[in-house]
Amino acid sequence: MSVKHVLTTCPYCGTGCNFFLQVSDDGRLLGVVPCKTDEISLGRLCIKGYNAHAFVQHPDRLKHPLIREGGGLKQTTWDKAFDKIVHEVTRIREKYGPDSIAVLASAKCTNEENYLFQKLARVAIGTNNVDHCARLCHASTVSGLLTSFGSGAMTNTIPEFDNADCVFVTGSNTLEAHPMIGARILTAYDRGAKIIVVDPRETPLSRIAHLSLHQRPGTDIAWINGMIKIIIDEGLHDQEFIKNRTTLFDQLKEAVKDYTPEKVESITGIPKKDLISAARIYAKTEKAMIAYAMGITQHSNGTNLVKSLANLAMVCGHIGKESTGVNPLRGQCNVQGSCDSGGLPDLYPGYQRVLDPDVRSKFEKAWGKELPGGKGLTLTCAIKEAMIGKLKALIIFGENIMLSDPNIAHVEEALKGLELVVVAEIFPTETSKFAHVVLPAACYAEKDGTFTNTDRAVRRVRKAVDPPGEARADWQIACELGKRLGASGFDFRSPSEVMDEMATLTPIYTGINYQKIDGQVIRWPCPSKDHPGTKVLHTQKFTKGLGEFAPVQHAPPAEETSEDYPLILTTGRNLFQYHTGTMTRRSPKLEREAPEPYVEINNGDARKLEIADGERVMVSSRRGAITLKARVTDRIISGSIFIPFHYAEAAANRLTNAALDPISNIPELKVCAAKVQKA
Amino acid sequence: MMAEFDPTILAFCCNWCSYAGADLAGVSRLQMPPNVHVIRVMCSASVKPEYLMKAVSQGVDGVLVLGCHIGDCHYMTGNHRTAKRVPLVKKIIRDVGIDERRVRLDWVSAAEGEKFQKVITEFVNEIKGLGPNPLRSVRF
Amino acid sequence: MREEHGNVAPALVSKGEDIGDVRIDVPYQLVNILETVYPWTSGKIAILTRRCDEKALAELFKRGLIDEARIAMIGLGCSKEQVRLCRCEDPVPTKVDVGEVSAPAKGDELEAKLSKMSSEERLKFWVGQFKKCNKCFACTSNCPVCFCDDCVLEERTFVSEPGIPPGMSFHLIRSFHLADKCIECGECERSCPASIPLLTLRKTVLKDVKELFDYTPGDKKTTSPLLTTLDDQPLVGDECNEC
Repeated sequence: MSVKHVLTTCPYCGTGCNFFLQVSDDGRLLGVVPCKTDEISLGRLCIKGYNAHAFVQHPDRLKHPLIREGGGLKQTTWDKAFDKIVHEVTRIREKYGPDSIAVLASAKCTNEENYLFQKLARVAIGTNNVDHCARLCHASTVSGLLTSFGSGAMTNTIPEFDNADCVFVTGSNTLEAHPMIGARILTAYDRGAKIIVVDPRETPLSRIAHLSLHQRPGTDIAWINGMIKIIIDEGLHDQEFIKNRTTLFDQLKEAVKDYTPEKVESITGIPKKDLISAARIYAKTEKAMIAYAMGITQHSNGTNLVKSLANLAMVCGHIGKESTGVNPLRGQCNVQGSCDSGGLPDLYPGYQRVLDPDVRSKFEKAWGKELPGGKGLTLTCAIKEAMIGKLKALIIFGENIMLSDPNIAHVEEALKGLELVVVAEIFPTETSKFAHVVLPAACYAEKDGTFTNTDRAVRRVRKAVDPPGEARADWQIACELGKRLGASGFDFRSPSEVMDEMATLTPIYTGINYQKIDGQVIRWPCPSKDHPGTKVLHTQKFTKGLGEFAPVQHAPPAEETSEDYPLILTTGRNLFQYHTGTMTRRSPKLEREAPEPYVEINNGDARKLEIADGERVMVSSRRGAITLKARVTDRIISGSIFIPFHYAEAAANRLTNAALDPISNIPELKVCAAKVQKA
Repeated sequence: MMAEFDPTILAFCCNWCSYAGADLAGVSRLQMPPNVHVIRVMCSASVKPEYLMKAVSQGVDGVLVLGCHIGDCHYMTGNHRTAKRVPLVKKIIRDVGIDERRVRLDWVSAAEGEKFQKVITEFVNEIKGLGPNPLRSVRF
Repeated sequence: MREEHGNVAPALVSKGEDIGDVRIDVPYQLVNILETVYPWTSGKIAILTRRCDEKALAELFKRGLIDEARIAMIGLGCSKEQVRLCRCEDPVPTKVDVGEVSAPAKGDELEAKLSKMSSEERLKFWVGQFKKCNKCFACTSNCPVCFCDDCVLEERTFVSEPGIPPGMSFHLIRSFHLADKCIECGECERSCPASIPLLTLRKTVLKDVKELFDYTPGDKKTTSPLLTTLDDQPLVGDECNEC
């Protein structure tokens, strides 16, 4: 009898820590041991990492395919399940056209699987309607940085945070959402680096920060423009860099000229002197890194917000050098990878544009099939199309849209109206309840593959145990479906073969293969077999040549407060739960730490409403209402409330607004109007 | 801050000896400062060190643990445990920078109403002199 | 420990299996790993043990958690650098089968510095450190002498803060529970993502225990003073083995 230690990548956040799963001979997962030599995690993990084994062999795991019969989901065979899917997809495609079908790829699935999902949509079904949850989190990063720099990814790497002398964090509760990146920021702090945090809430990091600024949600362009104006007025901008490496500086200067510290204070609530301090510290420190996440991206003008941060970094020349840059902290374990692999409606693998005829013909040659022309539907638009009856079928791989998408009432309506809903999942979810066919899938511990983390490192996921019952790996499901739909190019015997094919078509991944990444950390771009990978982006020139300044203006959020709905609702996460909770709520030690939904209300606001800490309250918006416990605290500014979106029994997204950013289609999950009353 | 500060004090008293002693002090109308919250436990050994640590970290200004004299414990060796634990608790809080006098162990029998009064009064005065627990003003 | 996939991994190698490229320079807490794998194995297990690991095993043997007869120790001597990083004053195992014989360190500088500070300064220091705590439970998960199945730190009763950082009670309670068990392996400090100098705190408390009870953990033949009466007799009754 023995126990093996299998080195794999964490299935939770985008930091991509590696650890060992302990497996007994009889296939039982016993625990997790951190990997001391791992460059990213340095032998440390957060509480979710230490419990990453806990949900895998939970009794709730889906073990058999299910099919809707007589109002309920009944067990069936794989053959019957596939038959039903193929029959329906074919019928719907003939009747309504291939664009009436959409595929949701998964940021929780491997690169190989996402490559196959988008191939399934494009080659086997004939549509560009493929998208995934990146639409909800960093879609504005992808579009914003693509315009500013030519590449939508984190410009520097996680280990570089250790050596930064200034870490500027905004819209990220790093110690709770990306704990091991937070750990790096703490290392910098212990070394004497200045930490600046801009967030409407008081977070564990802002409590340690040297400068903690609290802005009204939705006013970020104002303070960023304000900072840029101060930097230019005081001559702290990097004139060399601006002259040689950027374009449109004069337009930017013009755009920020009215954002005086006084005006910024009136819009955002940030005191003048704090704004000036922050600007000076950031500009004057050479090794200054910006880290950001949902607080910047999830707005109806998210793309502009991201471009503003890019402006800030470029104005100071803090880019293209070690321990500098603009660093979006990607959420899911493989959301970077699912974007890289082409799980997007307007981009093929490697961010090659669908609308570019030369690019399309390259893929047509490689895949041996004529490919659909126009841009596909984004996830948020697909829901809207489903609601008006234009979308007829949705094939969902590992995503729980009934909890993660904005305005759940609409999502429910949309799902109910579809003629075919297929869900491949590891647990029954709020979404799988609406499926016509449910396919049991394998999770990260039960298959081989790769995840790409937020700093572009392509990391191995290694199989430790067998999937339960009849569950299969998503890559096998996708291949089988592709074959049965009559398409060619789905005969893969292993994930490694899939990666090999993807690498030939994807310049940033061309040098990636399983042998190479088995023993080293390789970050893309890795354009050839012998290339060692790339740590810092835009060192000599930007991916698009010159960096482009974006002259953007502050715009109010899509839904402002009113007399009926006087409070700003902002949503987010806590450390112990993860997203829709399918995995963490089934992990005893995690569930125990944060078992209940809650709404954070400012002390003063609670007093006015006569609400006590722990009291049950009803929070409502124009879209719905939920009841949950009040947590009265001074950790949120007056006028705003905060609800974590993990809890199905009080789903924050019942209240949120699906107002979309016009460029990236990301919804404004961070701002909507709400009211609180005693329950 | 030192002038008129009203300390919050917890006193864990064991049912068989010190709580009875406290009762006796009350019935005998012995004057005692009002800031002490008495918590009756069956034995001083049931005061887990966790409670002492929690009290101190939440800003309680002083914690008293009162048990039977050694040899008189209703459960034989319960107070032996307490006699070993509390000195260690005091050292640990001292190690992190909290004055160890904020936690005190003493023995009071059921007949010692006067001793109870004396211990309480001494302790309250000592805590008044030490000032409020610094952890009260620390926001974590 | 051996090389695997470009990293160093802990490994349990069965008879007849290839042992691979063994490494002794990366300090995995093998006794802690042993505690997890132990119920899933049979027969005799040989384990690489540093001096601290020997002491950890002694604590586990005397509480009946691991059967001494099933364990064979392969003495691993720590390198000079490892001794320095641990501030280790007792680095040489009973028998050195692998590794070096290094001289002990001269004590913990930070501990000395803290003992000379006023209590205000000392409190400020520790509060500043504990504010960084992320409740990852690495210190408890990786500790070889932390063996409770139901950890009291997971109970809201004692650690009442609903989020992070947990208050002082987390760290104070842990210090107490380890006072009679800690063998100074330093794993808590090495795996802390917030770089809190936990080993220094452990060493400080161990000094207190030595002063109060003349007791040092790590000896099979001695019983923890928290488990004996004032006359050094074992405590009567159905006591739990913890404290």
